[in-house]
Amino acid sequence: MANDKQYWKGISQLTDETKFAEKHSGEFAEYIPVEDFIGDKAKMETSSTNRRDFLKFLGFSTVAATLAACEAPVMKAIPYVNRPDDITPGVANWYASSFFDGHDYASILVKTREGRPIKLEGNTLSPITKGKLSARVQASVLSLYDSARLKGPKMKSGNAWADKAWSEADAAIGAKLAQSKGIAILSSTIISPSTKAAIAEFSAKYTNVRHVTYDSISYSGMMKANLSSFGKALIPTYRFDKADVIVSLGADFLANWLSPIEHARQYGITRKVGKDKKTMSKHFQFESNMSITGANADERFPVKPSQLAQIALGLLNGVGGGGSASNVMGTQVTKVADALKGARGKGLVVCGSNDAALQLVVNEINKSIGAIGTTIDWENPDYTHQGDDAAVKKLVEDMGTSIDTVIFYNTNPVYSAPMALNFGAAMKKLSCRISFSGMLDETAAMCDFICPDHHYLEAWNDHNPRKGHYSIQQPAIRPLFSTRHAQETLLLWSGNKTDYHTYLQKGWKSNMLPMQHTFGDFAAFWNSSVRDGVSELWPATATQTEDEKKSLLGITKKDKDKSDTISANDESAVVSVSNDSVSFTGGTITLSEATSQLSSWKGGKYELSIYASTALGNGAQSQNPWLQELPDPITKITWDNYITMNPADVKEMKLFGVEGDDKDAVIVRFDQMEDMLDVVEITANGYKTKLPVWFQPGQARGSIGIAVGYGRKGFNEIIDNTGANIYPAVGMSASGTMSYDVYDVQLADAGVEQHKIATTQSHSTIMGRNEDILRETTLAAFAKDERAGNPRPTMHTYKGEADVEKVNLWNDFERPNHQWSMAIDLNSCIGCGACVIACNAENNVPVVGKDEVHRSREMHWMRIDRYFSSDTVKEEEDKKDEEGKGELGLMEMYRHMENPSFDNPKVVFQPVMCQHCNHAPCETVCPVLATNHSSEGLNQMAYNRCVGTRYCANNCPFKVRRFNWFNYTEYHRFEKTNLNPAHDLLGRMVLNPDVVVRSRGVMEKCTMCVQRIQGGKLDAKKAGVRPADGMINTACAQTCPTDAITFGDLNDMKSAVSAMEKDGRKFEMLEETGVRPSVFYLTKVWNREDEKAHV
Amino acid sequence: MIRLWQNVRSTRIVVVITLAISLFLNMSSLSAQEPDVKLGEQLFNAKCASCHNASSKKSTGPGLAGVLGRIPGGDWKYNWVHAPQKMIAAGDGYAVKIFQENNKSLMTPFPQLTNEEIDAILAYADPGPKNPIGDKAEKGDGTEKNPGDEEQSIPYFLIIILVIVLITLIAVLRYTRINLHNAMAEKEGLPEEPARPFFAAVRHWMAHHKTKVAALGILLICFLTVKGWYALQGVGVYAEEIHPNEWVGYHPSQPINFSHKIHAGDNKIDCKYCHSGVEKSKTAQIPSANVCMNCHKVIDQNQAGTEESKAEIAKIYFAVGWDPEKRVYTGKENPIVWNKVHALPDHVFFSHQQHVVVGKVECDQCHGDVKKMGTVEQQRPLTMGWCIDCHRTTPVKMEGNGYYTALHEKMKEKYKDQPITVAMVGGIECARCHY
Repeated sequence: MANDKQYWKGISQLTDETKFAEKHSGEFAEYIPVEDFIGDKAKMETSSTNRRDFLKFLGFSTVAATLAACEAPVMKAIPYVNRPDDITPGVANWYASSFFDGHDYASILVKTREGRPIKLEGNTLSPITKGKLSARVQASVLSLYDSARLKGPKMKSGNAWADKAWSEADAAIGAKLAQSKGIAILSSTIISPSTKAAIAEFSAKYTNVRHVTYDSISYSGMMKANLSSFGKALIPTYRFDKADVIVSLGADFLANWLSPIEHARQYGITRKVGKDKKTMSKHFQFESNMSITGANADERFPVKPSQLAQIALGLLNGVGGGGSASNVMGTQVTKVADALKGARGKGLVVCGSNDAALQLVVNEINKSIGAIGTTIDWENPDYTHQGDDAAVKKLVEDMGTSIDTVIFYNTNPVYSAPMALNFGAAMKKLSCRISFSGMLDETAAMCDFICPDHHYLEAWNDHNPRKGHYSIQQPAIRPLFSTRHAQETLLLWSGNKTDYHTYLQKGWKSNMLPMQHTFGDFAAFWNSSVRDGVSELWPATATQTEDEKKSLLGITKKDKDKSDTISANDESAVVSVSNDSVSFTGGTITLSEATSQLSSWKGGKYELSIYASTALGNGAQSQNPWLQELPDPITKITWDNYITMNPADVKEMKLFGVEGDDKDAVIVRFDQMEDMLDVVEITANGYKTKLPVWFQPGQARGSIGIAVGYGRKGFNEIIDNTGANIYPAVGMSASGTMSYDVYDVQLADAGVEQHKIATTQSHSTIMGRNEDILRETTLAAFAKDERAGNPRPTMHTYKGEADVEKVNLWNDFERPNHQWSMAIDLNSCIGCGACVIACNAENNVPVVGKDEVHRSREMHWMRIDRYFSSDTVKEEEDKKDEEGKGELGLMEMYRHMENPSFDNPKVVFQPVMCQHCNHAPCETVCPVLATNHSSEGLNQMAYNRCVGTRYCANNCPFKVRRFNWFNYTEYHRFEKTNLNPAHDLLGRMVLNPDVVVRSRGVMEKCTMCVQRIQGGKLDAKKAGVRPADGMINTACAQTCPTDAITFGDLNDMKSAVSAMEKDGRKFEMLEETGVRPSVFYLTKVWNREDEKAHV
Repeated sequence: MIRLWQNVRSTRIVVVITLAISLFLNMSSLSAQEPDVKLGEQLFNAKCASCHNASSKKSTGPGLAGVLGRIPGGDWKYNWVHAPQKMIAAGDGYAVKIFQENNKSLMTPFPQLTNEEIDAILAYADPGPKNPIGDKAEKGDGTEKNPGDEEQSIPYFLIIILVIVLITLIAVLRYTRINLHNAMAEKEGLPEEPARPFFAAVRHWMAHHKTKVAALGILLICFLTVKGWYALQGVGVYAEEIHPNEWVGYHPSQPINFSHKIHAGDNKIDCKYCHSGVEKSKTAQIPSANVCMNCHKVIDQNQAGTEESKAEIAKIYFAVGWDPEKRVYTGKENPIVWNKVHALPDHVFFSHQQHVVVGKVECDQCHGDVKKMGTVEQQRPLTMGWCIDCHRTTPVKMEGNGYYTALHEKMKEKYKDQPITVAMVGGIECARCHY
């Protein structure tokens, strides 16, 4: 076979193939405890009801139910009394708005049905996110309907909370504020000019007010380095799309670093190859944890966090900027430096560390390779991260002395502050604590007052994420509870009774109106800004490209053209606060200081790298069940955090009962780890916690990784028991920057029971038929031959070998009108999971919880398979055999071949949803014809016809069908934890009314968003035209930041998908089975010289 | 021979007696149908049904079942209906009591009703302790039965009586026959036929006539299967074609006695004026009350022809919060809770705009002749079979629609002169409606 690499889905697969096969031969991994969930098993066993009685009861109840069903209930219809002009029941309205939670920024369109926001999509007018969204932003609509949200202001009396009216709370707080010696507003990064103006008014009203910006994932070190290198305590914009060589030192820029949606989009552009583009960027990654960015890198070098210092210095030396040769990975560093030198002006080095010295050296490297002004854009600095660690440290020191009142705005330091800060103790010294949190989070729980802010979808705001770029945040629903804009609260306390909507308009009238040149009057300007959601406003020079200008003016108005009432008529100006002049107290650092600091870095035996996970980010949305159930792209674990550790280290620690030196001895225990993990106690920076250990191939030896965002308190039973908090282990340097790398951690067996985890990793496997699932090649080979690594599968027939396309058991079917198809470019897919959440939101996919995921019953309609690959090649073994050196039997050889190098396996992501086979195996086995094929190529699933035999799932070669084991919206087991959004009336508001909520005993699967197809077709029919390519799109393709998923009509010769269908890289999964999927893939291309060179 | 004769004779007797009895019962059933109940029903539906149920279930006012037993006798009922406020003002004990019991909402006076009419209404609404109408109405909560139902229920009753009579008759005849037979046997010196109990005799007969029993059994099973099949097909279907193009179906009473006949029929208001979503959305929309006010601000109570219309218009004003005296909106809105007539199950996606705009289907094709309906009635079954039948026979309106141009050419080639129906372009595939 052409592809000799072996792929393995989990380490357990390596250990014992037979056991693995046995375990996974069924779709559902284990015994189904029917008695347990029907009722009390013990009682049932002692019951005197015999079979005949049971049948009698059954017969009777069937007849009774049938008779009762003869009368339909009387249905009521309650129309609006006064229908709002812009609402037509049954038709969605779209409003442009913005998302910013202090970590991610995105310009969004909110889809509302009958006034309820139900789905978010990217705003294509935004030059930053360009219509793309991440999983976290997609999921944020669910947080709106969280029943844990506070319903109104609260005041603490003694230890109990009392609900208060706003007027009472205002009066009580007003009295407190008047007495206070010094007030601090502690917030996450604020990029809203109007919010900053409101804070400025508040500061003017009271004496000694201090506004401190605290980001739980801080970029303070980077700001310090930039202040030293460029004189600005800001962060530039990175242009990955302009980079030919990308070097990342531990920066997970595709999932979390700075502006991940934008970076992923830019990165995706550089990774596209085709007939006319046979070049792509080359991406090197030095990192300790296996991040999705590292997984996508052409060459990934696992290093301990402390070794990044040597590597940075080595790179600087290599590109001729000083520094010293690296004593870690010397040759590799030289190679990377040479690549950077070769791509002058087209190279880019980024670093994820919050250490100023390291960032300063990275700045020097970038200066040396001419990245400044090309791949690093200082003209458009990024304002989305302004956290000032030193100021936070100073504030904590002053709490209780010069500061006696703290207002917490969109921040939760009691949960997220490093233990070294001792924030909780400092909190107790205050005389007045006020939180604007919408939830009773850890910090709010310690406060005296909570004045809940609106959810962002209920609130007005403006954002200035980048110089010259402004966006409006428009409410899409009236506030559900008695909450109030935090800004309005601040204004009210400073004696300004303007509502925030008016205040916002006033601010735009006095500050933004003069910056634009299109509109004469404010009303037109304001309405245009609200409608588009984004505006480019430049005081002096315009640097946006012609294209971007066009995209702003030649607008295709998908969003609702809604006129907002202008209430800002009085002329009083609002103070203009520029994000350019961010206060920063971190000081500066010189290059010599930096190099000497870096040279002295000493690593420990185990080093901890604390990271933000792809699903939860900084943990602001920990309570969101969609995100909790999104499998981590690398480990595929849901509902947990854990310690990632290299298997060799696991062996060294003698965990899981591993003894001896033999590599196989490590492996032997792996089959047990799938569900039960050993728990170790970790001590880092004086903080102790217990977490399970996960074997992570690719994790740098001697390093471990733990994700933040877990171990929350105060939400509900489920969220509170999910994972452990690792934020307190974050280090605090003497100069006051937070360090997410801990160089000396102690690990010890926790002496507790093993921890059960729920991973989607090893089930839904494709049963070892690996060769025909994935195709990959190198760029060099691809440049020579488009079909490189992608041979046509053949089949033996009586006429000799024939292309499988020619061998067919079935007749072809006509597709007269449309033929819907989907192309997935494996080269662009970064595995981020945005598509999975978009699918959940669009198709009412239920959340099932950890226990059910553990039983392989997750309901996601699409999954992203992550395959580790090994570099052991069959040919080499064959050659050894021929030379007489071979000593392995055939079985042994395969076994060894499937042993990857634990140190650095390559990773490929492959999104898999229903492949809509044109000769679908599921359709032929359905006894009731509940699943069948449409003339447009869709594999249809009629839920009401399904009787739940699950034959279809068993016959599906791709294992994409999901079975409803429970009525997830009604069953009490899912109720008490409120983990399923459809369970309470509030959560149900997020459901898409165009899609049915499936009941128990029904099979479901990807429909290719048939509701969107039908909707798009109807629009086209009404307009009397064929639907244009891209007019009909699935939810997954719409949100994909890298455009890896393309949906379209194969009958439309001009569509993008029909061009891809003719691409040399096209292949189908399991093509030799002849099921003729409608979904096809494009070969993964690696920009590496030779795969075998990097073991 | 004798036996044969006996059989023939007994059959004849059975037929004659059956005919006689059935005629008698039929006549009696006809004569039992007093005209005032029918009139009462009409009047009840016109005047009382918006506030009262014909069962014991409480609506705006009390349920009327058993009302005659509750109220004081004599002319009280007439006085109350003609002028309830007068009676309350006069301090009538029972009048004040029900006024208090019903949230002090005053009953609309009906001075125009004659005493006979009031009696008729009460005869309909409170026919006595056994009240099939009331029970049924209670079950369906607002469902009304067709006027024909009561007449239809009597034949069933008749059949049961007939069967009993027949069985008795057979028993008597058999007894006679055995006696005669025995008498003859005695005369001729033959052994007597043993006297068996009835059921034993039936079993004996069945044992000796296996073919007949089997044939009868098969017939019976076939009969029940066919009947059962049709009965099951009717479950959950609320419209039936009783004569060609004449439908009866579900027609619940509504909180406002809105008449499509007056609006769409007499005054020729276009359907789309009120059901404005029909071309834009999947739902045609029950109009919001502010749409009513476009006209009823002008066509107010003073212009209303009858007292009932006045009361109905007042309900709109109540809903939108309009003060007709001061001619201002008070801001007190009270949503109208309509009873849904045309309801599709939740697992069906049906789009009005697809059918009305693209398919150019006329409203009455699925809704019947609404222009003639006082209370809206479901006049088509709205079942999946009915949908699919239409999709199989209706040609797609392809001409002049750019979406279909290429498809039309392809289909013309394939189907030659045949009209291209919705089904041919995939209109009966599952995922067109179910997702």
